[in-house]
Amino acid sequence: MGGPLRVVIAEDSAILRDGLVQLLLDRGFVITDAVSNPDALRASVDRECPDVAVVDIRMPPTFTDEGLRAAIDLRRLHRRLGILLFSQYIETRYAAELLADDAAGIGYLLKDRVADVSDFVEALERVASGGTALDPEVVTQLFGASRRGDSISVLSARERDVLSLMAEGRSNAAIASGLVISEGAVEKHVANIFSKFDLPVTQSDHRRVLAVLRFLDS
Amino acid sequence: MLIVVPKDLEVRVRDIARTILRAPFTKRTWSELLYIVVGVPMAAVGLAFVGVTMSAGLGLAITFIGLAVIGLSLRGSRGLGGWHRGIARSLLGEQILDPDPFAPRPGFLGWLQSVLRDRTAWRAVAYLLIKGPLAFIGIVTALSVWYDAFACLTFPFQNASRPAEFGLVRLFSGPGFLSLGSGGFFHSLAIFVTGGLLLFVAPWVGRAVVNVDRIVMRALLAPDAMDLRVRSLERARAQTLDASAATLRQIERDLHDGTQAQLVALAMRLGMAKEKLSAVDDPDLATVRDLVDEAHRGAKEAIVELRDIARGIHPPALDIGLEGALATLAARNTVPTELTLSLHDRPTPAIEAIAYFCVAELLANVAQHANASRASISCAQHGRWLRLVVRDDGTGGAQPSRLGSSSSGLAGLSDRVRAVDGRFDIVSPLHGPTVVTVDLPMQT
Repeated sequence: MGGPLRVVIAEDSAILRDGLVQLLLDRGFVITDAVSNPDALRASVDRECPDVAVVDIRMPPTFTDEGLRAAIDLRRLHRRLGILLFSQYIETRYAAELLADDAAGIGYLLKDRVADVSDFVEALERVASGGTALDPEVVTQLFGASRRGDSISVLSARERDVLSLMAEGRSNAAIASGLVISEGAVEKHVANIFSKFDLPVTQSDHRRVLAVLRFLDS
Repeated sequence: MLIVVPKDLEVRVRDIARTILRAPFTKRTWSELLYIVVGVPMAAVGLAFVGVTMSAGLGLAITFIGLAVIGLSLRGSRGLGGWHRGIARSLLGEQILDPDPFAPRPGFLGWLQSVLRDRTAWRAVAYLLIKGPLAFIGIVTALSVWYDAFACLTFPFQNASRPAEFGLVRLFSGPGFLSLGSGGFFHSLAIFVTGGLLLFVAPWVGRAVVNVDRIVMRALLAPDAMDLRVRSLERARAQTLDASAATLRQIERDLHDGTQAQLVALAMRLGMAKEKLSAVDDPDLATVRDLVDEAHRGAKEAIVELRDIARGIHPPALDIGLEGALATLAARNTVPTELTLSLHDRPTPAIEAIAYFCVAELLANVAQHANASRASISCAQHGRWLRLVVRDDGTGGAQPSRLGSSSSGLAGLSDRVRAVDGRFDIVSPLHGPTVVTVDLPMQT
């Protein structure tokens, strides 16, 4: 993938839309469009074929889950489009719906996360390149709601930290730097988690996110 | 005048005469007669049902089964009551409101408790008990008059010496009156004329019988005053709950779209500024200054929005009393507004809040839509009532539906006013002036 990432923004709040445009331009992204409703988003994606879309879940006309519906539609039409959903609240049901078929190139973050600009930009880049970016809040809720809560208790504290970061969609290298441990140690923890959960080990980051989430959600 | 009055009288006499002459041949008369006839088997069924089931239930009352039997009896009586109501509706056109449908609590004990407390069912039992004798007396009375009428009318063509077998006539007249000059032409003529008169009396007897039934039915089969009161209170409560849910949703929407978005944008700008400052080699101070400047402005806007939202939830001015709060509203209004107050007591907080929001919304409407040059608010206590009058000299033509589209608008307020048994009244002719009167109880 050469050149800067091309981003479309769909957000009905003008303040946030302008802020996002400013932030992403500053970080060297190309903004193909900044729209305020799902229909304009669909039209813009058809026209501009951006790499990734930042989509507010709650948009007009009903201000419920228009953004999510649009995202699911767009995924069907543009398999390579990365989608980062953006919301003031985390609803586990939305996360489950989004991740229903494939977690590749999907992100779901609280709007607050833009305050940590680098983390946000990193998540956006991960999604654009087919990775996953789930808000720590999603992971926490899934842990909490999981009927396998007792399975989580078989993990050591460190393994649980690794699992959280893994579920957010981070690579081993990122997990290692986040927890200030070696990449080898991360690999060992990941292997332990998969063997304790009795899951087949997979190589790609987003596949293992999916495996973990399916496990927690089942 | 001297001419008009007799003419009027003449018309009325003619109307009455026409009504009497037509009565035996109207659909109404025959429907009523049919109702009386049909009523007898229905009354018999009702009486038998109540008699058998209730006595069985009372006989077993010492056991638990007795209560269940009484419960079933009540359920059946309620159904039979509905049946009577339906017949009255189709034959008499009697528009009796249906009581609320039976809504038992879950579980057998819940059902039993609900059914034993079902006032509608107990009143239906009372109706069935009264309807039994009523139907019997009614049919005897009504049919014997009709029978007499036809017997008298056909007497001259029969081969009998005197109308001895007649119904009511026989009871009242004895041998004296109608057997006078027994057998002669005048005797036959007198009986024939009596029959003719009875023919025109019979419909009114039938109507009287039916009317007694109607009165009993209205008293026992219609929802009574308490039912209606409960129903209107339940509706008011539902409206209040809906209105408060809508208000909460509106507050959430305001916070989500306003303050939350402001704060996210603010955090984002500060985040960008922070990262630029930590670029040790070459901090881009000009950009940082711009970002901090925007963040600063955003923070101030967020504070203002938050204050407005908080005031919408509970106006702090109300803490010092309605007088002060209304004075603030009047002073803040863009149209010059005069305030007249005469309050001796303090209304309860809920009433103060409703009064405040009504005035606030009305003044906002005056400022936005009315094209008014002056407005006035009057707030006066009349014993246990508080009367608010908001008046403007604008263009008028205001309608409750147009004034507030959402439930947080005037429509929602008028729901809240009605929910506390208040009244909300708008008089707004075209070209004005508009006068809105709100009556609220002082205490909730």
